[in-house]
Amino acid sequence: MSGGIARGRLAEERKAWRKNHPHGFVAKPESLPDGSVNLMIWQCTIPGKAATDWDGGYYPLTIHFTEDYPSKPPKCKFPPGFFHPNVYPSGTVCLSILNEDSGWRPAITVKQILVGIQDLLDQPNPADPAQTEGYHLFIQDPVEYKRRVRQQAKLYPPLV
Amino acid sequence: MDSEDDMHDANSVDDDYYSGDTAADYCSDDDCGDYEFMDHDFEDPHDIVAKHQQKNYVVLNEADICQRQEDDITTVSTVLSIPRVAASILLCHYHWSVSNVHEAWFADEDRIRKTVGLLERPVQFSIAKLLTCGICFESYPLDRISTAACGHPFCSTCWKSYMRTSIDGGPGCLMLRCPDPSCSAAVGQDMISRLASDDDKGKYARYLLRSYIEDNRKTKWCPAPGCEYAVEFVVGGGGYDVACSCSYGFCWNCTEEAHRPVDCSTVAKWIMKNSAESENMNWILANSKPCPKCKRPIEKNQGCMHMTCTPPCKFEFCWLCLGAWTDHGERTGGFYACNRYEAAKQEGAYDETERRREMAKNSLERYTHYYERWATNQSSRQKALADLHQMQNVHLCNSLSLSLSLSLSLSPQLEKLSDRQSQPESQLKFIIEAWLQIVECRRVLKWTYAYGYYLSEDEHAKRQFFEYLQGEAEAGLERLHQCAEKDLQNYLTAEPPPNDFNDFRTKLAGLTSVTRNYFENLVRALENGLSDVDTQGGCSKTAASSKGGAGGKGKSGRGKAASKTGGPNDDSQRQIANLFLFASPLGWLLLQKL
Repeated sequence: MSGGIARGRLAEERKAWRKNHPHGFVAKPESLPDGSVNLMIWQCTIPGKAATDWDGGYYPLTIHFTEDYPSKPPKCKFPPGFFHPNVYPSGTVCLSILNEDSGWRPAITVKQILVGIQDLLDQPNPADPAQTEGYHLFIQDPVEYKRRVRQQAKLYPPLV
Repeated sequence: MDSEDDMHDANSVDDDYYSGDTAADYCSDDDCGDYEFMDHDFEDPHDIVAKHQQKNYVVLNEADICQRQEDDITTVSTVLSIPRVAASILLCHYHWSVSNVHEAWFADEDRIRKTVGLLERPVQFSIAKLLTCGICFESYPLDRISTAACGHPFCSTCWKSYMRTSIDGGPGCLMLRCPDPSCSAAVGQDMISRLASDDDKGKYARYLLRSYIEDNRKTKWCPAPGCEYAVEFVVGGGGYDVACSCSYGFCWNCTEEAHRPVDCSTVAKWIMKNSAESENMNWILANSKPCPKCKRPIEKNQGCMHMTCTPPCKFEFCWLCLGAWTDHGERTGGFYACNRYEAAKQEGAYDETERRREMAKNSLERYTHYYERWATNQSSRQKALADLHQMQNVHLCNSLSLSLSLSLSLSPQLEKLSDRQSQPESQLKFIIEAWLQIVECRRVLKWTYAYGYYLSEDEHAKRQFFEYLQGEAEAGLERLHQCAEKDLQNYLTAEPPPNDFNDFRTKLAGLTSVTRNYFENLVRALENGLSDVDTQGGCSKTAASSKGGAGGKGKSGRGKAASKTGGPNDDSQRQIANLFLFASPLGWLLLQKL
């Protein structure tokens, strides 16, 4: 009903991103085989923060927008099985600003989403666990948790 | 309506006139459903009724609600010198408690402003000609841009859809903030009115009104389906029963149907029990066994022990020992007599399950006993209510000031009666009063069955006293109901009309009054936890003999049998007088000592 505001806004987001975006991040709409661009799905990369266990990893994230965007938040997904207390087994990120009923505001930009998720990587929210393994290790076995995070960072080396 | 109280108090509002509690001590915690009643001596019932008629609640219609809401907003707005919209946001935040708003505001205005999102100094707008909307990122001239007090610019289209999303999301829209993620500026009704669609404005106003009732600790909606009245209640003033203007009576504390004299927790348990699957489970346990192969429960609905489970399982087994049927035959003492079972039973192997099954069956029967009577009285009350309304010929939603409506419009039935008996219409009020009494008594009686179910089996004296009072009350009610239902028909239909109408009046009015006494006693006894039994020395002894004593007077077992004693009953004045004697606990004790 928002009268196709989603695509217009995403086109603007794309422009703004090209003009300026944080170092190490990638965000671009999916390219279809015929060379056209699907603005509703973005392929992104989030770098692990320097001086954390996540450092060195470049984590692939897909953002799925709906026609209701920006009234409704997009859905952000890591690859399935991604190790993190607040990532569902399907890879979907559980984060307040991405939740329609709590933190989402239509003025939140793609840049803010990506930076927000980068923050979440190193600062999990134990009050909102989304997977058993990551949560339990985070709570009960910090040493093993650290090891797993570092192991995962190696799985996602820099592109190029 | 007070001036109409000439005959009885029974024409007061439904559910309002059993008022045993003289000094009800409520828990200080408002949410606590249990209340204790202090012991009290017997009092003249009329005193109590008079006390209870000071209503501790007010029924509000939509106009009243709006008025109160407006008044509260005005108060806060005036006292704090803030705009009405801000006052409304504050009140919403503080559950519409004016005093809490004042308290919080004067304690720490800055903090409150921050939490609620009321900025003190509105940010000055940029003077650029074009501004970029923070949602669609398009540029617009100033007249297409709106901002909350914070100054974050968004275009009208984006505001509209932002508001729609929030309003569709429910009453949370009353706490709407600026769409900017880092901003907490409140978005109030003024902006909604300016920017939202008409449809959404209406919904928002609705939520605001509902919030005034739902978030307020002092008010609740009437739970009757389709009823739009709300009830404001003053805690501590008396019983929780309230009668809405729609004629529905409910308990303000638990919002179930009015259930005096039974307390809220018993009612909750009972309702839960009625709806719970647990009874089905009990039945299954008592009457079925699981198929030994596929474990589905099987009810034995034919005589023979040879069971065949339904497809796809089709397992054939013996009902008694649950062994495969193929193992049966000559060896087990013939196909149809299972020695394996008999032997095992002797060894005690089956005792435990059998005992459990037996217990489940008993408990189920006990529950069914009370449930049937509860439900029968419920439907009987519905019927009586319908009859009453037919007599009154008034719209349900009109006020319940019956005497008034009566004088305004007599039902065709009463008009006919008035003609046939050459009675002035005002002389027929006793019929309405009888029906009101019936409706109320059915309600009380119904709940006493929930009470009875939870009354401990071990407290013999209490149980007997309870069953005695319940039986007497029930018998009285049956006589009254019978008289109002059947006897009245004669005067409406018989040709020529009987001319002993005055006798009928005396009888019906007498029965009404006697029945009211019985129920007042019952209500009072239950509300003080049947403590009269404890206070009488050696009472349990007398109670134990009560069955014999009462039986001699032909009253025993009424508690259970009375619901069936609808048969004709030529009661006379003498009998009524007789019943008066035994209507009080005192009478009951006298009876024991005879």
